[in-house]
Amino acid sequence: MTLLASFDWQFIWDHIPDFWDGLKATLKVAAIGIAGSLAIGITLGAARAHRIPVVSWLAAIYVEVIRNTPILVQIFFVAGALPHLPGHPIRLEPFTIAWLSVMIWGGAYNTENFRAGFEAVPYRYREAGLALGFSRFKTFLNVTLPIGGRIALPSSINTYISVLKNTSLLTAIGFAELTNTAYSLESISFKPTEVYFALGVTYLIVVWTLSALIRLVESRLAIPEQA
Amino acid sequence: MPDWVGPVADYMAHEGLKNTARIAVFAVLGSTAVGIVLGTLMTLRFLPLQALIRLYIEVWRGLPIIVTIFLVYYALPTAPVIHHRFGVITGAVIGLGLWGSAQVAEATRGAVQSIPREQHEAAAALGFGWVGRHRSVILPQALRRLLPPLVSLLANVIQNTTIASLIGVPEILATGQRSIERLQFEPGAHSHNFAIYAAIMAAFFCISFPLTRLAIFLERRLV
Repeated sequence: MTLLASFDWQFIWDHIPDFWDGLKATLKVAAIGIAGSLAIGITLGAARAHRIPVVSWLAAIYVEVIRNTPILVQIFFVAGALPHLPGHPIRLEPFTIAWLSVMIWGGAYNTENFRAGFEAVPYRYREAGLALGFSRFKTFLNVTLPIGGRIALPSSINTYISVLKNTSLLTAIGFAELTNTAYSLESISFKPTEVYFALGVTYLIVVWTLSALIRLVESRLAIPEQA
Repeated sequence: MPDWVGPVADYMAHEGLKNTARIAVFAVLGSTAVGIVLGTLMTLRFLPLQALIRLYIEVWRGLPIIVTIFLVYYALPTAPVIHHRFGVITGAVIGLGLWGSAQVAEATRGAVQSIPREQHEAAAALGFGWVGRHRSVILPQALRRLLPPLVSLLANVIQNTTIASLIGVPEILATGQRSIERLQFEPGAHSHNFAIYAAIMAAFFCISFPLTRLAIFLERRLV
């Protein structure tokens, strides 16, 4: 009981609006990042799986660089190094930095997810499409994408959840998302236990709800014979 | 090469790399030990224990690592009953270790369950108890399948040690950033942001790339 008595529940209750504002920013950045990483993943994953010259090699370098460097360093690179690019400084709005950096990260992981998915589609399916007179692009759109995309679904879901969790690192550049909101709240209230407990619970609710939702979609989209 | 490169590289290698390595080694060793025990226990058919370990896994995998580290480092000292303050490095090791042990536990559960039932039965027929059966028969086989994910975990933990810079550990990222700030005050200096951030990226790439290749190689060889 002492544990509950000294915990200031009223403080959390009073600051729900602050957490809600932070959560909205987090969800906004995550939504753009997830949509962008889906687009990047399908495009570059297709280029990799079909071994399209040049694009495929550049995509491979992009994937390896992003997967082998920490996302926090990538965020600082976009926010702190690009404005000092010798000869051609690139200055971006904080919101642009936020969605761009999580999207670049998610895009790299998703390129691998979709490459593996598209490559798992049996070659004879594609041959059948081509034999029916579909162009290579139409074959991709009507055969490889619907089947390979669904094979890639489970691993790409993990990437989307990671994109959402990675937005928490944007607090390092002072972007006012959920974690940063909690950090600011803590520095004016000196109630770290209450603030970070509430922060953790909020993330768990969001992450668990999102995974449950996506898995629901996944079970609807799953290839019938595998379900 | 300009004069500033030598001292910066020296500082990043001796202070930064040392702290990155220290955190990564302890976090990976801790996560492996705790994760293998929890993952093995989870295969016991005892529902309350399974539920408890499942909760542990879902909580520490669900939280962003930065939030876990903030909880350990900032929230525990004023928490009721606990009142304990960890040092920055210990805080980072525990935070990364909670996340890593959840990953290892999940991988171990899968690896142990992938060992055919006949192995359990044969060991039981030879008179092994549950502990002896797992220690001498099941885990040695499961560990082979666990090796590739453990190497990937090492690469991931090394990358995620950068988060420790946010609670003040002078690891590679933080030593680089401090160098950028220090160089700003040198007479006639221009900005070194781009060069130093590129160097930090390159340093992590050189550490992480061989490890991710090794993980892929092991997966092809062992599984």
